[in-house]
Formats: sequence, C-alpha cells, structure tokens
Amino acid sequence: MFCYNCGHILTSNDFCTHCGAEVRTYKSVMLTAERYYNIGYERAKVRDLSGAAGALRMCLKLNKDHVDARNLLGLIYMETGEIISALNEWIMSKNVQPKKNVADDFLDKVRSNPTAFEEMTTAVKKYNLALSYCYQDSMDLAVIQLRKVLSLSPKFLQAHQLLALVYMHIEEYDKAARELERCAKIDKNNTLTLHYQQELDQILSLNEDKKDIRKPRKKEENDSEAYEFNTYNPSSSVEPVIKPLTVKENTGISTIVNIIIGCVIGIAVSLFLIMPGRIQQESDKMNAKITEYSEQLSSKEADIQEKDAQIQKLEDELDSIEETMKGYTGADGTLNSYGYLLTAVNLYMTGNGNSLDVANALANIDENFVASTSDESFLTVYNELRSKIGAEVSKAYYDSGVTEYNSGNYSEAVRYFQMSYAYNEEDSTALYQLGEAYYRSGDLDNAINTYNEVIEKFPGMTNAYNAQKRLNAIEGES
Amino acid sequence: MLNFEEELQKFHPSVELDQQEESLYAQDTTDLADVLVGLIRDARIEGEEAAAAAASVEE
Repeated sequence: MFCYNCGHILTSNDFCTHCGAEVRTYKSVMLTAERYYNIGYERAKVRDLSGAAGALRMCLKLNKDHVDARNLLGLIYMETGEIISALNEWIMSKNVQPKKNVADDFLDKVRSNPTAFEEMTTAVKKYNLALSYCYQDSMDLAVIQLRKVLSLSPKFLQAHQLLALVYMHIEEYDKAARELERCAKIDKNNTLTLHYQQELDQILSLNEDKKDIRKPRKKEENDSEAYEFNTYNPSSSVEPVIKPLTVKENTGISTIVNIIIGCVIGIAVSLFLIMPGRIQQESDKMNAKITEYSEQLSSKEADIQEKDAQIQKLEDELDSIEETMKGYTGADGTLNSYGYLLTAVNLYMTGNGNSLDVANALANIDENFVASTSDESFLTVYNELRSKIGAEVSKAYYDSGVTEYNSGNYSEAVRYFQMSYAYNEEDSTALYQLGEAYYRSGDLDNAINTYNEVIEKFPGMTNAYNAQKRLNAIEGES
Repeated sequence: MLNFEEELQKFHPSVELDQQEESLYAQDTTDLADVLVGLIRDARIEGEEAAAAAASVEE
C-alpha cells in the first residue's frame, strides 16, 4: 500500500513515515477494498459470477487502481459473454499497471483468435437486435435472434435470461426451464435467474394443480412408495404437490410417437410446400431450356432453308450450264456442226473423198443450226463449200434418184431428188422428177405441190408443161 | 406472475465494438480513495487558511 500523498510505502503507522500525511482512513478504505476483492474472488471460485462481479465492482469503487479486481472482473464479463466490457476492464488495468500485468495475456488470447472475437461481437449485435424485437413485441423474431446469439456465444448470460423470459411470456415453460438451467450453470447465484426460476416453479405448480383438479387420481398409491416433491414456495398460496414417482409419462413411447409425427409432418410439408416450389422451379428451368432449344432450332431451320435455296440456285445454274454444254457437245450441237464442216472441208481440200463424201459430211450438219447460227465464218464456209460441190453433187443425187425410180423405190427416189434439187435449185428436171416420184409413190398432195412449184419457178419450160399435163391428168382422175 | 414489460426493463443493450471507446471514456473512475484524499486536502487547505487568518488577526 502506498501513500496517496507521496507514493511512499506505508507502514503499520497511521501516518506516512515519508511525508507525514494522515493515512488511517485511507488505509481503512484500501483494506475494505481488499476485503471486497477477496469476497469477489471467493464467489468467482464457486461460480457465483454475479455475486463476484458485485463485490469486485465495490472493490473498484473503493480503489479504482486495484489491478487484480479489474482483471478478475474482466474475466467474469468474458465468461458471461460481455466481451467489450471485459476488454474495457483489461485496458483500464493495463493503464494502471502497464508492465507485468496478467491482462496482457488475456488481451493476447483475444487477439490470437479473431474468429471467436468476431463471433462474440456479432452475438452482442444480435442480442441488441433481439432486445429491440422484444420491445416491439415480435417474440418469434426475438427467439430466432437469441438462438443465433447463443449458437455464436453459448455463455452469453443475458441472452439466456432474456430467452427464458421470452419463453415464459409465450408460455413455453419447458424451454424456459432449460434456459434457466443453463443460466444457473454459467452463474449459480444470479438474482435474476433465481427470480425467474421461482416464478417458473410457481407457474408450473399452478398448472400441475389444474391438471390434478381436472383429472383426480383414482386411488392413493401404496404408502411405501417413494414421493417426489416440487419446490416449495413459501410466498405462494399453493401447497406443495406430492407426485408419486410411479406416475410417470411413458417418455420412451411418447418420444418415438413424437418423432414419427414429426417425420410425417416433415414429409407433408416437403410434399405440399417444398415440392411444388421445386417442381415449379424445375419446370421453369425446363421451359427456359425448351425456349432456348426452339430458338436454336428456328435458327438452324432458317440456315437450312437458306442453304436449300443456295443449292437450288446452284442446281439451276448447273442445269443451265449443262444445257449450254449440251448445245455445244450434243448430236446437233455447235461443236459437232463445226466438226462436220471441218470434215467436209478436209475431204474437199485433200481430195480424199469425192463430192458425195463431202456432201454426206455436210448433210450431217443440223439444218436448224445452220438456219439459226449467226456465225458468219461458218455460214460463209458452209455456203461456199456447197456452191463448190453443188452441181456435181446434184447430178450424182439425181442419177441415184433415177436409178431408184426405175427400180420402183419411189421413197428413196424422193429423198435423192430432194437432195439433188437442194444442191442445185436451177435444175427444173430434178424438181419435176421429185414430183413424179411423189406421184408414183401415191403422195398426190406433195406431187401436186411440187408440180405447181415447177410451173411457178420454171414457166415456159418443158418440165413446166409436163407438170401442167400431169396436174390436169390428176384433176381428170379425181 | 411476472410482468413482462417490467422485466424487460431490466435488460439493457450490451456494449458493441464500435461503442467501446465511448463506453471506456464514459466510465466514472472516481473511487472512494479519491473522495477521501479530496476531503483531506480540502480540510488541510481550510486549516491552513484558518491558521493564516488567525495569524493576521494576531498581527
């Protein structure tokens, strides 16, 4: 103990031996503070935390610099879940005695476990929230919050007490009793806990009385049986209830039945509340997927249609090209016509064939192509060649025609006379003989036309005269 | 029977982390020793003043 005036160590004297200050009362106060600390320490050892905290607070009211009292009070706060108050005490303790202070160890332990510290501070926040719910009469929310608080900080005494109070308020006395038991385990002699316990006992005994009135016992049990006494409350007007130990609930069976009922309710809840939601959720997902796939399908179909259109266009182009190619390479195509013309020219120039061979080569050329082509070079060569061999070929065909005519092959004769006249249109005899071949073959229409053509193209000539005679004869026959 | 409203008044919000500094400074740290020392000092000053007054009267 040090002198309040000079800080010198005090002796057993009532004055300071260093400065002479009167210290009798001061020493008395300090010793009283020390006694309170001892009381607090003893109470803390038997886990009477609220009693210990009261004594330690008293000690600190007498001597604020009592480091041990502050440290122990901080520990008690920590044990009851009030971490910030605990930190305050240790910090103040450190302020009084910066070195060789056990508060260092406590603070280091808090710092070394930030997760636990975070949980405890969160629990404090949630406790305050639960308290505000209680003031708003939202008991369900308060219970939920307090359960969360106690899951984070299981030794939070005030939270246990508040939860017990709420349970009593909503008449869940069994749960309240359990919370009060937990309170008692944390702090054995807490006044508030004891007060609630007392109230709860009264309520339970009243309830028990009501049950007894409603359902009186059939007969007294054997006197030798053991009896169980409820807590007797002298302040209550209710007499203590004696309950035989044999009158017990069949807790095993009831527990199983309760579990089964709970399972049934759980299944029903999942079927009627959770499953429809899940099904709806899955259905929404499936619909979304179907929509997505439909869009993809539509896109693909559009692509396919576009490709089909391209294919159709290409096929049309191919057909057109093939048609064009056919025009060039077919039997009556341009290339073949040019080929026959070249063959004919070759035969004529090299002399490898006679005029008929050249004429046969020219005859292979399609007359339609000759009539439709606009190739001047082709037409020039073709006409020139025909004129070169025309007279000779015409005579050769005429001779062949006469031979066939004389042989009675009038159709062949018609063909030869036609070719003869085609190569030499100045030859009236060939045309007249053509008429004669028609006449002999029985084709009177063509015969008449041919005779008329002779008369028209070669008037005054013998063949025209003969043709007129033949026409007259035909008219006379008809 | 318990009066819930009255019982609820016994519960107070616990100090949160962001209120720690504030709560620390708000604590009344005056102890009985401080009061006592103040009283002794006051008594001493009064005694000295009284002695000084008596001396001046004598002079």
